[in-house]
Amino acid sequence: MLKPFRKVPVLNTASLLLVENEEQLQTRLADIIVQNEKDVNITVRLARKLPLPEENQDSRPRIDLIVFIVNLRSERSLQSAEQSVKYLDPGFFLGKVCFVVTGARCLSGSSNRLLTARKLAASLHCPLLFAEDQTNEGVITVAVRLLGILKVAAGLVPLATGLYLNSLSHCMIPSDLEQNLD
Amino acid sequence: MDRRSSVNTSVTHHTTHRRSKSYGRTFDATSRFCYTPGQLTITRIPTSREAAKAHKITEKVDPEQVALLVKNEWKLSYVTPLYQFRYTLLNVYAKHLSAFLVAEKQQGTAVEVGLETGFKVTFSTVLGMAETKDDAETVFIQIHSKPVFASAGDTPRVVWSGWLTCINGDPEYLQSLPPEFVSLPLFCTSGTESLTFLVKLWFERTFDCSFGSLSLDPNDLQWLAALWTGCHSDNNIRSLKLAWTLPAQPPLDVSLTVNGQDAWDLWEKVRPGDRADDSVSIEEVKCFITGIESHFFRHFKIHLSAGVLKKVSTALGSVHLDGKIKITCSDYMITVMTLLTECAILKMPTI
Repeated sequence: MLKPFRKVPVLNTASLLLVENEEQLQTRLADIIVQNEKDVNITVRLARKLPLPEENQDSRPRIDLIVFIVNLRSERSLQSAEQSVKYLDPGFFLGKVCFVVTGARCLSGSSNRLLTARKLAASLHCPLLFAEDQTNEGVITVAVRLLGILKVAAGLVPLATGLYLNSLSHCMIPSDLEQNLD
Repeated sequence: MDRRSSVNTSVTHHTTHRRSKSYGRTFDATSRFCYTPGQLTITRIPTSREAAKAHKITEKVDPEQVALLVKNEWKLSYVTPLYQFRYTLLNVYAKHLSAFLVAEKQQGTAVEVGLETGFKVTFSTVLGMAETKDDAETVFIQIHSKPVFASAGDTPRVVWSGWLTCINGDPEYLQSLPPEFVSLPLFCTSGTESLTFLVKLWFERTFDCSFGSLSLDPNDLQWLAALWTGCHSDNNIRSLKLAWTLPAQPPLDVSLTVNGQDAWDLWEKVRPGDRADDSVSIEEVKCFITGIESHFFRHFKIHLSAGVLKKVSTALGSVHLDGKIKITCSDYMITVMTLLTECAILKMPTI
């Protein structure tokens, strides 16, 4: 069980955990995030699913932001994300978790999955970002956005906290859709 | 106010409850997640359907015509409503279409309508297939032609056939159409691509409609798999064959054949006990498919949910993700056609 405040934060560092079942977008995102930021020490850790292995518990730094990457082209991706979410301490959901969804453009079978992903993000009160993973510009765009959220979650931006940003940007399902779908 | 989709009400209706904030009148043919400027149209995809009951369709429809429908594998497309399509003018349409086909084949020379030509087209209606009062009658088209080196006495053989149909179409949508339009959203074709293209071109020019290929969803395939398996008790499906494509390098094709009786046992376990109503909900379908996938995982350690379900076939029929359907048992035609009509209406581009 990952707990958000178990470790002490280190000065001028931020640590990101990317969880993705397919391991396709993770590495590219990690490279771009690390290259783009020169002022802050960013560590990016990659995982396929939670729970994270016990043996690394001590050497692992304090995680500031967890990003679940869901590929809408496969059902397995969404299922794995849903199962991983259960291994997080509730304290994480106050601004330290984010969902990134790729492949939303292709409608073949993904509209139901998109809906499920939105419901998942909305029920956990987390932001949901859409990413275009086929082009370089798309990956760079989502990397820059994640970097922004990471810096806020790590407390490196004055006057903004993760919880504050979360309350502004968490995923919402419009009320009539919610009524229809309850 | 009842906000749940009241799907398992009557035999022939399944209403999709739609909420739309729109400016002006729209007949928003339902699309799954349609954000068009100025309106937010969100619809509920039916989560529950009628179980496939054996409708002895041959009671209502001429058995010869049913035999024609059951013979082939059909390629599906959707059609937007036809403008001023008259059932009384079918013979005229047939002559025009055959002249058009001949003219296209011999580009440049004038062709007189009515002369003996290489193609003979017949338009006919298949009476009895329409389920509700809003459904238009099914139209069946056949193109016969004589082979090139035919002697005088040879009968022309069928080179192309197709049919336009609407079965259990969404009543709200059908009633919202202006009266000059006839809606037959599902178009099934069997024959050469060039002839299909020409027929579609003629329809587009004559009735101001537009066609598009109807590619199906893996969800629809799962529905059909579950519905066909549910019929096993009445009509032996022999085996349930499923084919997946997994995104490996190179792509891995997995084809799984489940014994009919085993599939039915699994289906019965998924469905809770004796149900008063005959509806099947999507959770049961998902449970059924997850059961099959997890069984496969246990043996081969491959997650089938990471792939795409491409083809489902049983002894009652087969369906392919590209939009090909073959119905071998005419008893369940109405249920299958209902599902496909719904897909066609959902796929149609809205105004």
